[in-house]
Amino acid sequence: MAADPKMKFLVVDDFSTMRRIVRNLLKELGFTNVDEAEDGAIALQKLQGGGFEFVVTDWNMPNMDGLTLLQSIRATPSLKHLPVLMITAEAKKENIIAAAQSGASGYIVKPFTAGTLSEKLNKIFEKMGQA
Amino acid sequence: MSDFGGMEDLLQDFLQEANDLLSDVDNKLVDLEKMPDDRALLNDIFRGFHTVKGGAGFLNATELVTLCHLTENLFDRLRNGELELTAELMDVIMDATKGVREMFGELGQMVQPQPADSAVIAALKGVLSGGAVGVAHATTAPHPAADVAQEPAPAPGEPDWNALHAAVTGKAASVASAQSDVITKAETAIVESVVTPTAVVSPSAATTPPFGRRTTDKPGGQPTSARRAEERGRENTIRVDTSRLDQVLNLSGEIGLTKNRLTSLRADILAGKNDSETLHALDQAVSQLDLLVSDLQNSVMKTRMQPIGRLFQKYPRIARDLARQLGKDVELVLAGEETEVDKTMIEDLADPLIHLIRNAVDHGVEMPEERQAAGKPPKSLVRLEARQEGDHIVLIIADDGKGMNAERIRAKATEKGLISEEEANTLDERQSLNLIFMPGFSTKTQISDVSGRGVGMDVVKTNIQKLNGSIEIRSEPGKGSVFIISLPLTLAILPVLLVLLGDQPFALPLSLVREILPIEQSRIQEVGGKETLVVRGEVLPVITLARLLGWPLERYPEYGVFMQTAERSFILAVDSFAGRDDAVIKSLEDFRPKGVAGVTTLSNGQIVLILDMKELLSDLGQHPDFGPAVRALDFA
Repeated sequence: MAADPKMKFLVVDDFSTMRRIVRNLLKELGFTNVDEAEDGAIALQKLQGGGFEFVVTDWNMPNMDGLTLLQSIRATPSLKHLPVLMITAEAKKENIIAAAQSGASGYIVKPFTAGTLSEKLNKIFEKMGQA
Repeated sequence: MSDFGGMEDLLQDFLQEANDLLSDVDNKLVDLEKMPDDRALLNDIFRGFHTVKGGAGFLNATELVTLCHLTENLFDRLRNGELELTAELMDVIMDATKGVREMFGELGQMVQPQPADSAVIAALKGVLSGGAVGVAHATTAPHPAADVAQEPAPAPGEPDWNALHAAVTGKAASVASAQSDVITKAETAIVESVVTPTAVVSPSAATTPPFGRRTTDKPGGQPTSARRAEERGRENTIRVDTSRLDQVLNLSGEIGLTKNRLTSLRADILAGKNDSETLHALDQAVSQLDLLVSDLQNSVMKTRMQPIGRLFQKYPRIARDLARQLGKDVELVLAGEETEVDKTMIEDLADPLIHLIRNAVDHGVEMPEERQAAGKPPKSLVRLEARQEGDHIVLIIADDGKGMNAERIRAKATEKGLISEEEANTLDERQSLNLIFMPGFSTKTQISDVSGRGVGMDVVKTNIQKLNGSIEIRSEPGKGSVFIISLPLTLAILPVLLVLLGDQPFALPLSLVREILPIEQSRIQEVGGKETLVVRGEVLPVITLARLLGWPLERYPEYGVFMQTAERSFILAVDSFAGRDDAVIKSLEDFRPKGVAGVTTLSNGQIVLILDMKELLSDLGQHPDFGPAVRALDFA
């Protein structure tokens, strides 16, 4: 894998159990440098603090949802390069399209395994490598 | 390892968080009934089910996912204005929520939930498919699907979203081209992914049913997992603010440093160094340790403190359901949810509070017509409030109902043979109301299936007393009743007064002590065969501790402790005092003599019994020396 295991992730979800699940899955894949945020607004604040290299975010959250977070990241010059993996419970076409149009790097549907996550991440890393 | 395969912790986390979330949803549902068009509320409730569904998927809780999915879809329609919230629909939603709560219960027992009540599922599906405004996907889905159909191949450099979508839904990439049914495929894909266990568990979990069947189904059983399942019955994890843990860590670090200082001083002193400077340093180090340890105790205690709101939030729904069942209009108003209470206490308060709330809704408040006839607003208010008063937590359950009739309560108690006619006549208003706490008392001849439930007010009182608390009633006919529960802040540390009987010290809970006074035997007066002492105009019975404990009275006690419990005031006569102390109560497990709450160790290593005054005094009730008035008071 081309990815640096020290890569710093930000996991965004309002449900702490879900953050823990994602954190554990990332750990299984060898990524241990993970921070968490409870919603899009807090995530954006943390991201602006710098140091993050990858964002994994839930879609449906209070205050600021994942899609708005994604749009805000893409609209911020210092953050717009960040890969963003969207997590959602729905495989609805319109959601996927909205995510794609807003510049999501990938899209994953709950529930997923470490294997699926790894696959998605690798696809994104490949694209980043090409860029 | 159980069949859970390392998911036990995850399950616990999930349940704790999801339970909070569901309670929140419950309250929002109650609000929604008042404001059926509030979009923010609909959104929040939608998100609640959605989040639970997401978490449940990782736990392979298929049935829970299905139920949440349907309910969530229903709310999606509601918030999009495609469905209208009717009373019938509200009932369906309430049933669905109840189903989710039941499934949490099953998960708590480490059992994969059974399918939801088929009637509930059918009702949800019925609403979703037969909604007059049309099927959601029939109205909304075709547009994006059609857009997609005309969408050109992805631009170079852009991710191939059709392929991605296909990968995501587990369908071959070609499916994406079959645009017309892509949505339904996606939908079925969700169901499929839910049916086939795919979650975080090890591959073996995919072949064996996750969590296993009911643990009781297992031939021979698995002792470890069975025990663990039992432990799960009670929530044994706690969420603590990290800043509080940091404080504990910080203090233990400081204590470590002080300990090092003491170790070095000990070496000096053992080596014969005892000049004033060394002793001064020793004095300082010990004082510092003293301070740090009490800070540490406080901080550790604080980690056990939880806002009582977590308990309160379950109640509006209970009150609402009950009121609806009874045809009453009741609003449960919460106050002081942020008040922090020891976690154990919160758990032990759950049942008594439910009972008091049920009691208020069932017996306390009137039917709307009755209220209107009495010139009151048809909607009744039940207030549940918590607040800290000094070193006590006070809980108040107040209703604006018809109040209690002391005369009727006395009559009932006499009729049931709980007290004699004679005793009844000596009771004042407050004592009469307290009769409802007597075992076997129930004002309704027919126990209603609502607040009946086999538990009486006596159990409420016993449970509160087990927490070193007290409960009292105030009531005004026509205006309503108020139950006031008073509890200590924590059960771990008990400030005590040390009294001496001869050379033997005993500890009394300081919370009951009002003042200490010398006793001059000449001032003791006999009233009705009982010893009393007049303190500032108040006639107080004098009870000698020696007699209470059944010890011989060698000389007349010199000091009196003015004690006040919720029920009565009295003077406890003792020989002398040894000061006050913060007792760390050690319970006497199986061996517990009557009237002894536990033991504690004094600074000199001596072991002291902590007296349970209420229990000791209840013995007096049976004592022939005490008249009916005192006995009746004991029931209070």
